[in-house]
Amino acid sequence: MSRPESTGHASLFYNAKEARKYDSSSRMVGIQREITERAIELLRLPPGPREGGRPSFVLDVGCGSGLSGQVLEEHGHVWVGCDVSRDMLNMANERIERKREEALGGESSSSDDDDETDGDDMMQDSANQGRKHKPEPSPGDLMHHDMGTGLPFRPATFDACISISALQWLCYSNSKDQIPKRRLMRFFSSLYKVLRRGARAVLQFYPETSEHAILISECAAKVGFAGGIVVDYPNSTKAKKHYLVLSFERVYKAPQGLTGAEGALLNEARTGVHVADRDPKKSKRGGGKAPRKKKGTKTKEWILHKKETQRKRGKETRKDTKYTGRKRPMRF
Amino acid sequence: MRLLTHNVMRNNTAAASAGSSLRITATEVRVDESTTDDDAEGQRREVEFAKHTLPILDWERLVEGARAMGLETLPPAVSPELANDAGFLRALYGVLMNVRLINGMLTCSETGREFPVTDGIVNFMLEENECE
Repeated sequence: MSRPESTGHASLFYNAKEARKYDSSSRMVGIQREITERAIELLRLPPGPREGGRPSFVLDVGCGSGLSGQVLEEHGHVWVGCDVSRDMLNMANERIERKREEALGGESSSSDDDDETDGDDMMQDSANQGRKHKPEPSPGDLMHHDMGTGLPFRPATFDACISISALQWLCYSNSKDQIPKRRLMRFFSSLYKVLRRGARAVLQFYPETSEHAILISECAAKVGFAGGIVVDYPNSTKAKKHYLVLSFERVYKAPQGLTGAEGALLNEARTGVHVADRDPKKSKRGGGKAPRKKKGTKTKEWILHKKETQRKRGKETRKDTKYTGRKRPMRF
Repeated sequence: MRLLTHNVMRNNTAAASAGSSLRITATEVRVDESTTDDDAEGQRREVEFAKHTLPILDWERLVEGARAMGLETLPPAVSPELANDAGFLRALYGVLMNVRLINGMLTCSETGREFPVTDGIVNFMLEENECE
């Protein structure tokens, strides 16, 4: 399977059709949510509103259809998202609009008191009345922007930056005048400037080669960031995830990746970066399956839920019986 | 595009300097109502966020931007007493977060470069040769 990045410009790959597919695939949504949760965990933000603290102002680079933004909102943070694909942003906008209408639906709104409000219809239907928990309108904002041109913000603006599955696009040039290294440097130097003091950035990406991972880390180190790459599930090709964790603290030690893989330190003395992508002590387990990330995958409940989804889509699905999802005997 | 986003944005083309600002020409503005009128926890969140964000705001630009969107209620400067007043902070949160430019234009005060806003999304796509 070829990588999306080799087919051309990101906005060409994430066109309207692809954007809709991306956003409606429940597996994709689930994975992106998980990655975002992990990125937020690695950010180690100060307590958010759910913990009696305050919202953080977060920049989401390559926000796409707003999946990661939604997770940020659930943690109570305020975010600004940029993406190069207008089609993906339109989907994110739809999501924001839906949330807003839901939030307003439960209110009894007085008739228009502001001249500027346009003819938006405020839903006052009874569907939302009686709900104990009022959904809030989205604290997200969207920009159509290419991260390779540098982040267009004033210095020391954001409390944090996340990026989910986007950074690797900078490693490919889609026109004669696009030079990957220059774009990476623009991105990282502007990121360094727009973060507030003490802020961190966590950028999950899919490096095609270790050269790409090294190029990315070198550019980050060159502009002055400390940190490293955390690799989760290094022994599984499917589950393996790379998180570039950046901070301003000189002696920052990147946290451990999941399943015991060690993160790497960006060493000041060298421009190169030690990327730990395999633990030499662990031998390759023969014939082992990729570890299950959570118990929810492939259990009977999941199977039943999946079949229900397929039925809703109109696909031919077998009836649920007492044999559905039963443990099959081991083959050898 | 919210007023908060507008306030922290800058034209980062090579042609513009750090002192440039983005003038708003508003064709369509939307002001959302607050949803935390009977939500004490939500109000606390808003006050905390406004307090945390106040130091990074360019107040002059905020007043100018709000005026371009039809809001004249912001004071010309923020005194220390005002900066600790919960009522003011909550109102500030409303101005930053609930006033959105749906359709319009941002124009760089120095270079005249235009950034259109459509459907609430600002177009900041630059050409490679515009960048530093």
